[in-house]
Amino acid sequence: MKILTERMEAHRTDSHTLARYRDTGGYESLRKALFEMTPEAVHEEVKASNIRGRGGAGFPTGVKWGFLGKAEPRYLVVNADESEPGTFKDRQLLERDPHQLLEGMIISAYALGVDLAFVYIRGEYPRPARRVQRAVDEAYEAGLLGPDVMGSGFGLDVVVHLGAGAYICGEETALLNSLEGKRGEPRIKPPFPAVEGLYAKPTIVNNVETLSNVPWMIRHGGAAYDAIGPEGSKGTRLFSLSGHVERPGNYEIEMGLTWREFIYDIGGGIPGGREIKTWIPGGASAPWLLPEHLDEPVTIDDAGRLDTMLGSGAVVVMDETTNVVHAALSIVRFFSHESCGQCTPCREGTTWMQRILERILAGEGRQMDLDLLLDISDNISPGLRWPPAMTTICPLGPSAVSPITSIMRHFRDEVEAMIPGVAAGV
Amino acid sequence: MERARSIIGRYPEKRSAVMPLLYLAQHEEGRLTDDGMRLVAELTDLTAAQVQAVATFYTMYKRDDVGRYLVSVCTSISCMLLGGEDVLAAIEDESGVPDGETGDDGLVSVEHVECIGACGGAPAVQVNYELVEGVTPENGRKLCRWLLDGRPRVVTGDEMQELFGGQRSFDWGPAERDGAVGPVPAFGPYGTAEEV
Amino acid sequence: MSERVTITVDGEEREVPAGELLIKAAQDTGTYIPRFCWHPRMKPVGMCRMCLVEVEGPRGRQLTTSCTMPVSDGMVVHTESDVVTKAQEGVLEFLLINHPLDCPVCDRGGECPLQDQTMSYGPGESRFVEEKRHFEKPIPISDLVMLDRERCILCARCTRFSEEISGDPLIEFKERGNGTQVLTFPGEPFASYFSGNTVQICPVGALTATPYRFRARPWDLEAVESTCPHCSVGCRISVQASQNQVLRFLGVDNGPTNQSWLCDKGRFGFEYLNSDERLGTPLVRGDDGELHEASWGEALDAAAAALSAVVDAHGADAVAGIGGARSTNEEAYLFGKLLRSRIGTPHLDAQLDDGLDPRFLAGVEPRATIDDLERAAAVLVWAPDLKEELPVLYLRVRRAAQELGAKLVVVHPRATGLDDVAGHVVRYRAGHGADVLRRLAAGEGDLADARAALGEGPVVAIVGRTGLTEDPALAEAVAAFARDLPDAALMPATRRSNVYGALDMGLSPALLPGRASAYDDGARAALAEHWGELPGGAGRDTAGIVDGLRQGVLKAVVLLGADPARDVPDGSGGAALEAAETVVAIDLFRTASVEQADVVLPALGFSEVEGTVTNLEGRVQKVNRLLPGTGQSRAAWEILEDLARRLGGSLGATSAEAIAKEIEAVAPAYGGISWDRLDWGDGREGVVAPAGEGSQPLGFVPVAGDLGTPPDGTTLHLARTLYDHGTVVRRGPSLAKLAPEPALFVHPDDAGPLGVEEGVTAWISGGSGRAELPVRFDRSLAPGTVYLPFNLGVTVGTDPAVTVAAAEGAA
Repeated sequence: MKILTERMEAHRTDSHTLARYRDTGGYESLRKALFEMTPEAVHEEVKASNIRGRGGAGFPTGVKWGFLGKAEPRYLVVNADESEPGTFKDRQLLERDPHQLLEGMIISAYALGVDLAFVYIRGEYPRPARRVQRAVDEAYEAGLLGPDVMGSGFGLDVVVHLGAGAYICGEETALLNSLEGKRGEPRIKPPFPAVEGLYAKPTIVNNVETLSNVPWMIRHGGAAYDAIGPEGSKGTRLFSLSGHVERPGNYEIEMGLTWREFIYDIGGGIPGGREIKTWIPGGASAPWLLPEHLDEPVTIDDAGRLDTMLGSGAVVVMDETTNVVHAALSIVRFFSHESCGQCTPCREGTTWMQRILERILAGEGRQMDLDLLLDISDNISPGLRWPPAMTTICPLGPSAVSPITSIMRHFRDEVEAMIPGVAAGV
Repeated sequence: MERARSIIGRYPEKRSAVMPLLYLAQHEEGRLTDDGMRLVAELTDLTAAQVQAVATFYTMYKRDDVGRYLVSVCTSISCMLLGGEDVLAAIEDESGVPDGETGDDGLVSVEHVECIGACGGAPAVQVNYELVEGVTPENGRKLCRWLLDGRPRVVTGDEMQELFGGQRSFDWGPAERDGAVGPVPAFGPYGTAEEV
Repeated sequence: MSERVTITVDGEEREVPAGELLIKAAQDTGTYIPRFCWHPRMKPVGMCRMCLVEVEGPRGRQLTTSCTMPVSDGMVVHTESDVVTKAQEGVLEFLLINHPLDCPVCDRGGECPLQDQTMSYGPGESRFVEEKRHFEKPIPISDLVMLDRERCILCARCTRFSEEISGDPLIEFKERGNGTQVLTFPGEPFASYFSGNTVQICPVGALTATPYRFRARPWDLEAVESTCPHCSVGCRISVQASQNQVLRFLGVDNGPTNQSWLCDKGRFGFEYLNSDERLGTPLVRGDDGELHEASWGEALDAAAAALSAVVDAHGADAVAGIGGARSTNEEAYLFGKLLRSRIGTPHLDAQLDDGLDPRFLAGVEPRATIDDLERAAAVLVWAPDLKEELPVLYLRVRRAAQELGAKLVVVHPRATGLDDVAGHVVRYRAGHGADVLRRLAAGEGDLADARAALGEGPVVAIVGRTGLTEDPALAEAVAAFARDLPDAALMPATRRSNVYGALDMGLSPALLPGRASAYDDGARAALAEHWGELPGGAGRDTAGIVDGLRQGVLKAVVLLGADPARDVPDGSGGAALEAAETVVAIDLFRTASVEQADVVLPALGFSEVEGTVTNLEGRVQKVNRLLPGTGQSRAAWEILEDLARRLGGSLGATSAEAIAKEIEAVAPAYGGISWDRLDWGDGREGVVAPAGEGSQPLGFVPVAGDLGTPPDGTTLHLARTLYDHGTVVRRGPSLAKLAPEPALFVHPDDAGPLGVEEGVTAWISGGSGRAELPVRFDRSLAPGTVYLPFNLGVTVGTDPAVTVAAAEGAA
């Protein structure tokens, strides 16, 4: 079952053009929504689909829409700030099928009573941004955007906005600050964006993949979408597979298969016949899984049961040769680099942990550093449980804790072996 | 100036134009200068300190000298697992420019960067934010030579991928004609893209 | 906010106002939750994370910042659980790992929230063995403020203050993550009129004030609460001194007035008190024409003899008194009593011809309080540029417009500090206000929107002269218009220190103590009961006194803390003193006027005397004594009493408090405002006079009079800047350098016709002077108007009509 990637696979040279998009049924869902459905009916279909947001947090999209405040104007913002290490699915959707996203946006804007929408694309994605901008230009020319979409009287403008290098802007309130021309610092919630978002007006922020599903839902009905996949993990999902695998890439799959099926059957397994050591199931923020979990099903709820998450759908595989301290350092360094700096535990804690890991990797670790790492982690994410408690404003700080707890729980002996005195048995 | 005004006009509030205008200022001057920030402040009714606060938050605004070609090597987890650090070392060695610096001739700057969304094509490199995936250390060296000796006017990901790339995150589809002419992402509405 | 809810804090039920932030509700009911970034006068940001507590919810106990959590009924909070303690200790450790711990050499040491909380909640020793963050050690970010980024804990109090409260965001975050720092922009220093507030609210020693650096340790300071003497807002302050030297003023949070903020002139303007130039000995002019030191007895005898001689030769009404606006109410009262009842002259004035009708200032009705701004639907500011003249009132208006949503209409000849938050900015050519008023009242043309904005009450109208060339009758006409706006209250705005108190004490030919009219027979009779017979005849105000002296009608003048030679706006004060036979000056400094005096009596100044003062809303507050004063200086009331004894009898003054009691009895509007009430009773926020119902005899209703015809040609806008050549600024080294260079401001469109250019020297010729000045362009000026800052050493008089031309050889 392919919802998102069918067109791009069938039409490799022109799936991103308006001509091909229309030729393959594009914008018919929009026509249906505008002329045959009320905004409320569109909202009902999205609710009925039970789709959960594809950005990482997995919040039900239909429910989120229901929180939208009544004040005007209202805004729709597409979160195309894909930056979670391991994640590259939205890039493909943006480059290869921008009209699918655009149609989803227009339908959603109609449902939400929005007449101005933004696509916030990370600055490192100029090629996707150009493709989306071209799609927007085509849509204006074809009367699919502007004051009178398809002659329906409904109007929508779309602005493509480039970020400039800040992972934190993937957090929706940081994204809104950034879009307002401010530092990309997350806001205190509540108020949530649906009530006070962009320019303090009601705003819905949805992920690229989430909205790209909307045209299909409208064409086939929310119930049809809900019929795909296991309970709590409805629809297809675009997973990004990378690391030590034979066939990395994006795979649109129905959830519910096992990790073994995904990594070995679809991903081709580990190169060189090596053993798998561990993998990250849902982006760098997620705690790692172990070979003993290979036969667990890939669903949102099963991942939660294993104290981790599917997050942004990024699966990073590490084989037996991996130095887990090095891997953890890479991730902690990422979060330290991307910490916005406004709240104390994240700003100070992530960097402190990075420096301790660097010392350990350089052979200058102390025995006490292991417990210290855990205690710093605990001061960022009290109790070290999942889903994480936080002493921070947003989940970035606790994200940096995941690799620490992962290596300390599963590979503590390997870490200890890198401490000079301990290695020598002193 | 006209471009700046048209960018401001895209947004309900002037301040939202700060980030695009910073790109424009950087594009004009090759890096983001104090004068550039002051100008953006004037255009958006902010103080220069407010603009500086924004500009310094984002890594793609370059306040120090930056070369005509900004070579960014990803060393985040997926690229790191597949040798991104070796690619970085090869590029530093071939270009003679250490990580975080710019060559004396002002041609090339080298930096390691966090995830650029090309994990399926790890290790990945960008030149002026145009992407090339599946780069080996050897091809990293060739890429450097191509920049230093060939000095292409416009850089496109598609051309570099053809010449120096390997494994891709996904099928890119047909080639793009627009590319970058400096260390700013190439994007039409900002006036930073040029055709090959 | 009157609704109350019940919350449970650490097992104890508390009743608190609904919707209040948990951190405040807890504090007000006895539980202090530690914090760094939260400040009660700024919006919460939840950044430092020190105030984490556990709140019980449907998903169990959740850690949350108490500074961002509004209370709701039934909320159960834990502030001392193991989880909370661990989290707070963790935050403190995070804050300390990069902190230099240089407390012994830090100005904040001893009064540092970080230090205090480390002692209370922090770990014993550091587990951090890495290299700390390093920045260049303290760098000046303005003439008044130094920044040490290593000490900074990034709480954003300073950046938020400058953006949210003062509206001049020149200090901001820079970089991000672990590299985040606070900084200004290169070449754009933190030149804010309010920068000192950031030093006061900095929870560490990252921001320090140049005038205070390394001057004292907190435990060596003596302090007393008082009222800032610099303008008529009357901000509440703490005066802090060591070894008989004032070392700093800190803002005290008085809700109705300053809400904890001060302007930098108020905060750093104390240095004049410690000046070497303070008078310490009485002076008497000798036969050689020079001033010579004298004993108090000699000086008082000389003063009394000279004044008696004038009275004997020319009558009591050949004597006049100017001053009192920088004195306490008690001193001002006694000055009036001396002049009217002992000497017997009706010529007295606390204003220097730079204000408004004294009856308007003292008795306009209905009169607004500053706190009315909290509830105002609309605010009209047709007054001096508040940022320059009444800075903390500016902050309150800013807050009303920006945070509280009041519609703000600002009418002024050039840009003011409030323009960026004003919904409607009306510019007009200096001297042409009458027509703008007529059009605004009628809602004509481009003023229709501004008029509509004032259509919904309550309206607070802040009314005064926008500049010194403006006809005071215009302000009264504006007030007459504003009075009829819905639910309107008026705030008459003039800046000088305790001028409202002095007028309330009757230092005006038109007023008697307690806001009574000097032309009201009943009021005169009532006062005569206490004072004896009052002089008849029309009294002269300052302009009249200056005139009388110059024409030889008046022969003697007593100055109480007044410098007419410098401060009378048209520049005629010096000549008046020159013409006088006798000048007796009571002052702190050898001002230009003192230099012309025959007898000089050195007085104690601010923080050296106790008394009351009255601000521009009529609020009476205490000023208190902390220091002995300089040399042989004496309290002005003692000087006046001693002088009176030599001029026909005691004024009955035995102490400042005794005078205060007499004021209570004599001055109707001040009934019931006792020192006890102000110090210990319900009057600690000050008491707005009139204190009792119906106790104000003077109800002044402004009327629109004839405003004449506007002048042709170029007109002059003459207005003050916060830092000028006045006594306070000039004699304080920190502020003196901040006074701008004098210049003539011209709209670029007017430059061509006038034949001047930016940077060239131009002549300006006015009613009583001619000056040569460099030209600066100012696009905010109404066309046809040039602007000259007042009191920067250049005077051309106060006529609105001027001529401007390029100086010879300039262009």
